[in-house]
Amino acid sequence: MALMENMRVRSPWILHFDTGSCNGCDLEVWALLTPKYDVERFGMVNKANPKHADILLLTGPVTKKSEDRLMTLYNQTPGPKVVVACGNCATNGVPFFDCYNVEGGIDRVIPVDVYVPGCACRPEAIIDGVVLAISKWKEKVAAEVPISASEAGPKEEQETVEAPEAKP
Amino acid sequence: MSDLELMVLTILVGILTPFAIGLLIGIDRKITARMQNRVGPPVLQPYYDLIKLFGKERRAMNSSQTVFAIACMFLQLAAFVLLVTGGDLLVVFFVSSTGSFSLALGAFSAHSPFSYFGAQRELLQILAYEPIVFMVIVAIGFRERTFLAGSVAHDLLFVLPLALIALLPVLVIKMEKSPYDIATAHTELISGPYVEYSGTYLAITKIAHWFDLAILFGIMTLFFWDQNIWISIGIKLLIILAFFFTAIVIDNTTARLTRNRMVKFTLAFGLALTAGNMLILFLADQGVFRWP
Ligand code: SF4
Repeated sequence: MALMENMRVRSPWILHFDTGSCNGCDLEVWALLTPKYDVERFGMVNKANPKHADILLLTGPVTKKSEDRLMTLYNQTPGPKVVVACGNCATNGVPFFDCYNVEGGIDRVIPVDVYVPGCACRPEAIIDGVVLAISKWKEKVAAEVPISASEAGPKEEQETVEAPEAKP
Repeated sequence: MSDLELMVLTILVGILTPFAIGLLIGIDRKITARMQNRVGPPVLQPYYDLIKLFGKERRAMNSSQTVFAIACMFLQLAAFVLLVTGGDLLVVFFVSSTGSFSLALGAFSAHSPFSYFGAQRELLQILAYEPIVFMVIVAIGFRERTFLAGSVAHDLLFVLPLALIALLPVLVIKMEKSPYDIATAHTELISGPYVEYSGTYLAITKIAHWFDLAILFGIMTLFFWDQNIWISIGIKLLIILAFFFTAIVIDNTTARLTRNRMVKFTLAFGLALTAGNMLILFLADQGVFRWP
């Protein structure tokens, strides 16, 4: 049912969550919804609700306070779902690397599918990231592996990009 | 037109209408996007959404929530079938509003403040529009001396124009459009009564909503009738499209009002118009003056 699968990936609904960013990346995510970038032409709608979402656009480093909330939101999203980490902070916590109150990148808490670099990431880059995410989503839809809630969790063994030590 | 042809037409209308409503919602999203200087999603977007939702992982908060969602869909479906086959308008009205109530009950069954707020606001909306729909049906019955949808065979458009106009705020509320998107307020309640539904069950509530709209449009089409079936269908479609477009314009030019103002305005406006129309009709019947 290739036709059916093609139709199924035409309506990616977004959940945007800020895990503690400086709001730089948030503004760029919101810019996607403005007439200039208008992601609704791809069927994307910001649903602001994990239970309706397919693609999680996450910004900012995971602070210790937001860790549980991020996990809850991820678990509440029904599969198949895709996670996009927007910005350097979300990738590995870069400007806030090793801060006392910061856990690190998003992938310290939940599995990430697409990383969008940049501080702040450009809206064009986010669109590219989301397009990539949609192709990943397509694979997941085709494989139809139900992502159970148990799969989510701290993945210590997962490879994380090590940020370079700051040179004095 | 023979009975067989009429039956085929009825079945055709019954099957095609839900699809047409999906298409209308797609057109609505496109027009709204164009009004906001955007490109907008494809016209078939509501179908893509629906197909995707059916493919999502099945999850529910509790079993009563799913039961209420399914009940809501079947009640609206029953009401719609009753209307298409020319059944009693009052029964259509009661069955359909039971469907609306079961959506609110489904939202109440989940222990979530957003869902709870959404359900309470849904009840408030029901309080605002149901009396008007009821009065319009009573007005139709008053004029036609019957409540059977199949027996309405006069031009109500020229006799009950005010009652038809009273259905406009009802349409705006049912289409979940501003200024009356009180329950699904997407800026603070996210999607109100739908907030705790996901995947398949969300899709079921969406289908129920499509049938709900179809019933309202069906009541609007009762206002025109002609000997020639094609003229009849054409004008009926025109009425629907005119109301639909007006609702979109209202949506894009207004901000959301408070729930109190919704109840006060819709009730005052709708009931005054329908009651006034019935009064005019009554006086005309008494021979006080001529009314077309
Ligand atoms: S990547 Fe830069 S702009 Fe984005 S949240 Fe981090 S510090 Fe702010």
